[in-house]
Amino acid sequence: MIHFERYILKNGLTLLFHKDTTTPLAVVNTLFDVGARDESEEKTGFAHLFEHLMFGGSVNIPDFDAPLQMAGGESNAFTSNDITNYYDVLPKTNIETALWLESDRMLSLAFTDKSLEVQRNVVIEEFKQRYLNQPYGDVWLELRPLAYTKHPYKWATIGKEIKHIEEAKMDDVKAFFKKHYCPANAILCIAGNFEFEEIKALVEKWYGDIPAGIKPARILDAEPVQEEYREKTIERAVPTDAFYYAFKMPERRNELYYIADLLSDALGRDKSARLYVSLKKEQQLTAEIGAYITGSMDDGLLIISGKLNEGVSFEQLDSALWKELESFKQAEISEAELKRMMNKLRTSREFEEQGLLNRAMNLCHFELLGDANGINEEHEIYEAIHPSHIQETAMHILKKTNCSLLKVKAISNDK
Amino acid sequence: MINRTLTPELKEIDQIDFIKPSIFDISSSVKLYSMCEVPNQTSRLDLYFNAGTILGDIGTASFVNSLLLSGTNTKTSIEINNEMDSLGAFFESSVSNENALVSIYALKENMLAVLSILKDAIENVAFLEHEVIELVNDRKQKFRIGMEKVSYLAQRTFQQKLFNHPIYGRIAEESDFENVSISTLKRFHKDHYLHGLTKVVLIGAFSTDEIDEVIDMTGNWAMDALPTFNEKCQNEPSKTHVNKEQAVQTAIRVGRMLFNKKDPDFIDFQILNTILGDYFGSRLMTNIREDKGYTYGIGTMVAELTEMGYFLVATEVGSDKKDATLHEIQYEFKRLQTELVSEEELQLVKNYMLGQLLKSADGPYAMMDLFLHVEPFNIGLEYYNQCIESINTITPERIKELAINYLNWNKMTIVTAG
Repeated sequence: MIHFERYILKNGLTLLFHKDTTTPLAVVNTLFDVGARDESEEKTGFAHLFEHLMFGGSVNIPDFDAPLQMAGGESNAFTSNDITNYYDVLPKTNIETALWLESDRMLSLAFTDKSLEVQRNVVIEEFKQRYLNQPYGDVWLELRPLAYTKHPYKWATIGKEIKHIEEAKMDDVKAFFKKHYCPANAILCIAGNFEFEEIKALVEKWYGDIPAGIKPARILDAEPVQEEYREKTIERAVPTDAFYYAFKMPERRNELYYIADLLSDALGRDKSARLYVSLKKEQQLTAEIGAYITGSMDDGLLIISGKLNEGVSFEQLDSALWKELESFKQAEISEAELKRMMNKLRTSREFEEQGLLNRAMNLCHFELLGDANGINEEHEIYEAIHPSHIQETAMHILKKTNCSLLKVKAISNDK
Repeated sequence: MINRTLTPELKEIDQIDFIKPSIFDISSSVKLYSMCEVPNQTSRLDLYFNAGTILGDIGTASFVNSLLLSGTNTKTSIEINNEMDSLGAFFESSVSNENALVSIYALKENMLAVLSILKDAIENVAFLEHEVIELVNDRKQKFRIGMEKVSYLAQRTFQQKLFNHPIYGRIAEESDFENVSISTLKRFHKDHYLHGLTKVVLIGAFSTDEIDEVIDMTGNWAMDALPTFNEKCQNEPSKTHVNKEQAVQTAIRVGRMLFNKKDPDFIDFQILNTILGDYFGSRLMTNIREDKGYTYGIGTMVAELTEMGYFLVATEVGSDKKDATLHEIQYEFKRLQTELVSEEELQLVKNYMLGQLLKSADGPYAMMDLFLHVEPFNIGLEYYNQCIESINTITPERIKELAINYLNWNKMTIVTAG
């Protein structure tokens, strides 16, 4: 059980407080309800570029990192298609430094030309390092627009192309901040060995006078129900053929989401999973194979991906894979198989909840879903899943007409 | 209205409690280290073996390590994995120069059951031909994928030139995977696992009886006498470029052989290392990322082996920025050798390092890892109190002296790939 308190400031900022008496550290986690899905198609990569700019100084404080380091702390952030999350970890005695820094950058940024210019370059190098200069690095840049035709999930967090980042203008940056970085669009979680009253007072002190702003309405293009099988082959100078089967699955708040999660575990979480045992160990078709879900807020993807063994064709893999998926749909998984997955889930959850930062991040995430207490209820949802539910969901999801396949064909680099 | 331009008052970290694990004898030389103060159901078991890559033919140590759960004469690898997964356990194994490590993460209530499965799997691994062939194929594929990455290419050549030694500096080629023989794997396994256990680490709220069971189950693998490592390596100062067509980034490695915690300069050098490249506000990050935007990241580290250590700068930069980046790295070395670090910067690094030390002592897992960072050098946890003392007392003059002694550009091995 993860305990927490909630307090909502007049300007709309949600504060969550989690008490842990065993640690000398404090965590300040801030989730902004904005991600790559909130970008316009002509200016992609913006939420992520903006995350970099949040470290470039705020209205009253020229440098974000140095004062935090001076307080013995450190900070980082990440952007997904759904959210942008910032966190600070520091000795609890210096918590006020983090609140001072975080509240000032929620109030307003410095918006210097130098910061924009440098971070544009840094993000372009990040684009190259993670997506262009790695074998298979660009797979998600190709797979997203294949699986999504309308919804903004069709572009990756880093952006559709480098050009969008190169062309980012200061006016765009300011407009983005004004629209998305207001208190009403944020969830703040503070974790550590404090009293709730003391935290409330500190948060009122530093955040209370930030103007409220209006939580922006989110009206996204809905992804139409997929009714046809899609397939695309790209040729790349990589050593081995690789495959990515992407199946549409329900959005995060749907109870079927949890069933689809277990379905992906059954297919390919570990070395006991169906596809690993059948396609790799028994039939020797793949060198790697696994299954997982993207975990998106809106309609997500269940991915089955891997790499072919030498001499195996995409067609061989395809027929063996569909045969395996069909047989999975034919019969319920055994109680033992379900128990195995539940045991794995339980171990991961216990380890994950050990970390103070994880607890703070997850509380914010569940609050965004509707109620931070969801963190304590999720296990019951999983516990109520029966083998028949997994079978029904498999029949619904693992259909050819619900599938987009990306094949990466290996070609020689020498040409 | 509050005045937002004023920094809130800072409090210094006055004390960190370092908690020593309990020590049990497995044999006269092999110990079990246990940390029982775990407030939840999680647990971890580490088994260390004298089965590192410096032993045996190239590739052998790594193959044996990857085949530990590949099946016995009575159980397939699928069955073994299924049994461990059914207990909700996570298995990890890895191999470094001087050690092999097997770790289990599980809930405490399942750990002993998992260990007995693991024990049978490791003790009776049969090195079945189809499992070995499958691994050879997987390795070849991973190797070819690695060779497409500039970071991998740079790291390989760097390791060769850095250690500059027939064993520590050797690197695998694809053809090495062809020559794996099952009898060699079996012999290595017998010599270095069944008689190669050097250390056991147990974290979790276990009773003394449960700890005794772990000792009973692992005792027959314990070495009679712990291995010693006597080789000393000297890097080859040189500059090498590995060509990779069409790469849009170049990987850079700059480094030299240095020392480990046994050297009296080690702690102070760590402070210099932090200033130069080991935190977000470091000299190299500030110059090469935050001022010039040449890279997504650049960092430095000191890596340690039992009797030696090395210093390393690593980054990946835009292909047209290779020479400019090398120039800036050299410039930052020079600046530390010729200019005194300002009191303000030094104070920031001191506070940052103390905060990180507090963080790395937070909780039983972190505490055990701190212990494991000193134990191989026969140093106790008092090392960390020395760290606090050094951080609090180091002067700009001392930083400069260390930079002059150890950051000589002509002593560096430089490798670029792109």
